[in-house]
Amino acid sequence: MADLTTDLGKLVLKNPVMTASGTFGYGVEYNQYYEISRLGAVVVKGIRMEPSPGNPTPRVAEVTGGMLNAIGLQGPGVEKFLHDDHYMPFLKKSGATVIVNIWGKTQAEYGEVAARLDAESEGIAALEINISCPNVKAGGVAFGTDLKLAAEVVSLVRRSTKLPLITKLSPNVSHIGDFARAVVDAGSDMVSLINTITGMAIDIETRRPRLANRTGGFSGPAVKPIAVRMVYEVAQAVRVPVIGMGGIMNGDDAIEFLLAGASAVAVGTANFVDPYAPLGVIDGINAYLDRHGCASVKEIVGGLRID
Amino acid sequence: MKDGEIISNVRLQGDYFVVKFYAPAISRSARAGQFVHVRIDRGLDRILRRPFSIHDTAPDGTVTVVYKVVGHGTRTLSTLPAGATCDLLGPLGVGFRDVPEEVVPVLVGGGYGAAATYLLTKQLPQRGVFLLGARSAGDVLLTDAYRAANYDVRVATNDGSMGRRGLVTDLLDGVFDEYAGRKLFFYGCGPHPMLMALARILRKRGAAGELSIDHLMCCGVGACFACVVKVKSDTPEGWSYARACTDGPVFDLDDVYVE
Repeated sequence: MADLTTDLGKLVLKNPVMTASGTFGYGVEYNQYYEISRLGAVVVKGIRMEPSPGNPTPRVAEVTGGMLNAIGLQGPGVEKFLHDDHYMPFLKKSGATVIVNIWGKTQAEYGEVAARLDAESEGIAALEINISCPNVKAGGVAFGTDLKLAAEVVSLVRRSTKLPLITKLSPNVSHIGDFARAVVDAGSDMVSLINTITGMAIDIETRRPRLANRTGGFSGPAVKPIAVRMVYEVAQAVRVPVIGMGGIMNGDDAIEFLLAGASAVAVGTANFVDPYAPLGVIDGINAYLDRHGCASVKEIVGGLRID
Repeated sequence: MKDGEIISNVRLQGDYFVVKFYAPAISRSARAGQFVHVRIDRGLDRILRRPFSIHDTAPDGTVTVVYKVVGHGTRTLSTLPAGATCDLLGPLGVGFRDVPEEVVPVLVGGGYGAAATYLLTKQLPQRGVFLLGARSAGDVLLTDAYRAANYDVRVATNDGSMGRRGLVTDLLDGVFDEYAGRKLFFYGCGPHPMLMALARILRKRGAAGELSIDHLMCCGVGACFACVVKVKSDTPEGWSYARACTDGPVFDLDDVYVE
């Protein structure tokens, strides 16, 4: 068994496997299947100041090799998240390393929610700034596809909290490396990528979009080559830790991301296919490291060979 | 036998099939209205699980599901032979509640929604009424099973090819008349428009009941918020979204938001 300890600057994880925000609820939903403290970290669904109803239904559509979603960041709001048993109080008891994904409809709201979580940060290991959700009209990807706005949001959040900051990047841009540099310069301690890729599916019998939101975020095994390429580009562009995700179904998929330069990975859509998927990814990483005689997972981060 | 192994998978009639899985843990604890979430094939082409109401369970550790071939997942399922295995999660969701013995259960099914209420005939000691609405005689399912359970079975079809011509809700007046003076409790499962029509009528009558609101589902465990349905709430809109998979699929009639 190799050492899986993962070092993300100020944030140290017992293993490199996290959950992708929005695919793991608030942790409690999966704790009935296994102890979620076994994961490197649990990244909860996006939190803003106010409760959010989310988008109309249908919100998901299955497509070849994956799915589209347009949930629209339904959520309880920060106060309920901090104090209702189902959310933070449960997570504290679970012993999991908790990363809170945050968003806002305005720049100011990003700062407010970061400050609010900073004030009651017991049990919170880091914040992940969501500037990449493609399914909300205000906030989300509007900030993640404009270099200036992305830097402003991150800079405001940086001034609002001392917690380690991860910025989750959108793949819906031409040069993702530029966005990585901009958010790191603005004070982000690390970056995570990719969020979903904007897509669309049409019911040809009714001639209507299959999602009420018309478009949605494409995820699942089919997006993995795009995600690996973008992680590789970002790892070249910045010197901070990179968290890679996009279509990871098993340990071998995760290894690709680590070789491309990610220090940790997140499992997303695979949770919907198999609740135990993240544990399978941890086992698969271990098996690979043993097979390659590696004493630590750190040995393979960025280990891509290019002649 | 392996967990999730298919014992039998046969055509019931037309596009309707009945599959029996060996799944002892699920079989032991399942209640009427709960569902199993089935990973039909392990390929990465179509990755999502499919939810099915639990139709029946038996002491031999089996779980029975009635399904209609409507798309890719159910078509694949219909081709699986006995001996094949699927990955089952369950029993999931909130099931139907029991009512006291003096109350007459009235089960109202639309199409293969009829399958979701069948376990009530085993769960409740008293007999009741089963109302079924279907498009045509070929879509009338499971009436023999309900008759065998000594239920008062009444059928409506859209085209009048079996039972009364019309909608299942057209059968309600007769039940209210004939069971006047008895306490009734309604259990509904079927297509969304049918359930909304049922809710409107039952509300007008001041009747009590529960509805199983079936919805396009993804994770099945409450994490993804795909399968939400509108429930009454003190928000400015008068409703909020609840998850069909974990807050439901069975909702109290009083909580259902009717548009």
